[in-house]
Amino acid sequence: MLQGALAGLAAGGLYAVLAVCLTLMSRLVRVVNFAQAATGMVGSYLAVWLVVHTGLPEWAATLGGILLGAGLSAGLGWIVCTWLAETDTGTRSAVTAAVLLLLISLSFILFGNKPQPFRPVLAGPAFQVGGVVVSQVTVATVGLAVLVALACRLLLGRTAVGVRLRALSERPTTAELLGIPAKPLSIAVWAGTGLVATLAISVVAPSQSNDPTSLAMLVVPASAAALLGGFRRLDLAVGGGLVLGVVEGAVAQSDHLSLVRYFLPLLFIVALLLWSQRKEVWDAAR
Amino acid sequence: MRAGVAALAAVALLASGCATSGSGDPIVVGSVNALSGAATFPEASQAARAVFDAANAQGGVNGRKIEYKVVDDKGDPAAAAAAAREIVGGDNAVALVGSSSLIECEINAKYYEQQQVLSVQGIGVDPACFASPNIAPVNVGPFHDMTLTLLYGSEVLHLQDICALLEIAGNTLPAYQAAIDEWSRITGKKLRYVDATVPYGGSDYTSYIVKARAAGCKAITVNPVEPDSVGQLKAAQAQGWTDLTWLLLTSVYSENYAKAVSEAGAGVYVPAEFYPFTDSVSQQTKAWRDLMTSKHIPLTSFSQGGYLAATYFLDVLRGIKGEITRESVTAALRGMKPISDPMVGTPYAFGTGKAHHDNTAGWPVKLASGTNKWEPAASDWLRIPKN
Repeated sequence: MLQGALAGLAAGGLYAVLAVCLTLMSRLVRVVNFAQAATGMVGSYLAVWLVVHTGLPEWAATLGGILLGAGLSAGLGWIVCTWLAETDTGTRSAVTAAVLLLLISLSFILFGNKPQPFRPVLAGPAFQVGGVVVSQVTVATVGLAVLVALACRLLLGRTAVGVRLRALSERPTTAELLGIPAKPLSIAVWAGTGLVATLAISVVAPSQSNDPTSLAMLVVPASAAALLGGFRRLDLAVGGGLVLGVVEGAVAQSDHLSLVRYFLPLLFIVALLLWSQRKEVWDAAR
Repeated sequence: MRAGVAALAAVALLASGCATSGSGDPIVVGSVNALSGAATFPEASQAARAVFDAANAQGGVNGRKIEYKVVDDKGDPAAAAAAAREIVGGDNAVALVGSSSLIECEINAKYYEQQQVLSVQGIGVDPACFASPNIAPVNVGPFHDMTLTLLYGSEVLHLQDICALLEIAGNTLPAYQAAIDEWSRITGKKLRYVDATVPYGGSDYTSYIVKARAAGCKAITVNPVEPDSVGQLKAAQAQGWTDLTWLLLTSVYSENYAKAVSEAGAGVYVPAEFYPFTDSVSQQTKAWRDLMTSKHIPLTSFSQGGYLAATYFLDVLRGIKGEITRESVTAALRGMKPISDPMVGTPYAFGTGKAHHDNTAGWPVKLASGTNKWEPAASDWLRIPKN
């Protein structure tokens, strides 16, 4: 069971990174970005395309893919900030769901449905704990999740840009009237989360199933993790991602529970929603 | 009055679908394929079309051209049912040739029986392709392929402690279990461990790999689609499990897959359902390779299946004396003598059986770590012993 739990930690680390990105997007630009993992997927596919078709070295192509992923996310952010600036969170989030479907379809059209020759950024085991192997990818994703969460916390709490971002998040109209450049800052948040998501997926994609759908749909377990922190708290988002990955890994060790594994994020989401609504009376909760 | 009765009779015949084509009309042949959706197999019908085009360029069959109708089932049951009805009911096809789909047989087998039309399937995948009197695939199929891959692992590579990770979609578990039982019956050996809970399209297979390693497996047989298999190999690599042998199926035998796999443990072995197309200098595949290359059709197992289906069908068609209709084509396929081809280890005959699961030979190929290239791993066909 311990082996299984540790085996799930790599997936958990990835969920945690994406959950941090989702939380930042929700807090700072009022969007639940369903296309968060999909933009990362497209970035990592573009990196492979660059290696195969332009002959770029692996590291340069990976870097190019990460920047393209950030650019794609920034472009989406520009569209949302330009035409949907005054709309509510639901509408803005619905746009990203459409983008998710668009990006999955587009990747099948552009890259086909055959396996792509991803080359590992990291491969092999990092160390063993009591005979249980912890892979390099696990160390990288868990480390990245913690690092990104801490960096964001420092950025938001200790820097002038962070204060401006928080002002935009809490009182967007007041912040704009005070002269805070809302649109560039919002697009920067989109670009930043796009960059981090593409980085994480570029590390993980070569070491697991990497077809467009399975990568893009990583947003489901990531949403479950972000929901644990109410799309507000970064620490709980990280914790939620790691716990979800570990539980999935542990459950897969049991023949009876194994089938439940892929429903776990959905069960997690339903349970959290019910818990968060527990004190609501019927009319208010409707 | 007499003319009116004759006209009415002609209309009635047409309406009942019993009209026979005139001698100059094309012979309509159909095909149901997964051409769009997440898993697509376009090469089988492309290859069959190339064979028919070549025949038409030489004057057709008895002066009649072949009109090949290819319909997309989109991986969707409703679309698959509609596709069959369009071809069989609407276009009045004499037979189906070179179909390749994940769901088509399951959905349409009963309909083909009702309509008394036969399908020379290019690539049969689901169990119904091998359990219908009206469908006879030219390929080995995943179930015999699993028996073959296990036979190769235990009897040729002499591997011990073989485990199975099965990705079960729909009702395929009994068919895979029967394939494993067949191997046990032949060899008297048992698998160390079977995990039938491995999901299709999973994102991370590490837990299943860790579980198999803890169970003491030395070799693993899987029935994967390409992306899943890539994920499983990468998961084993991340765990540092480098002495594991993979006994896989033809579903992963492609050049794309070889390019995507850099670390293959102690090797990936597959009994190719047709003579290995990656052996580019082989005489066995020359005719097929020349035609595919001239038409820019990808060289894959799927295009081998489509090519063979169309080639066998043309052979049967040319032997028909008299009018070529659905009835005469059905009778000719039922009564055909086995046709041999160097690309397969088992001669093909449609026959009168209640099920058609007769291709029992594969040619082992190997993908070693760091090569990104498939190599033949045998000098002859590997066959499932009859008794």
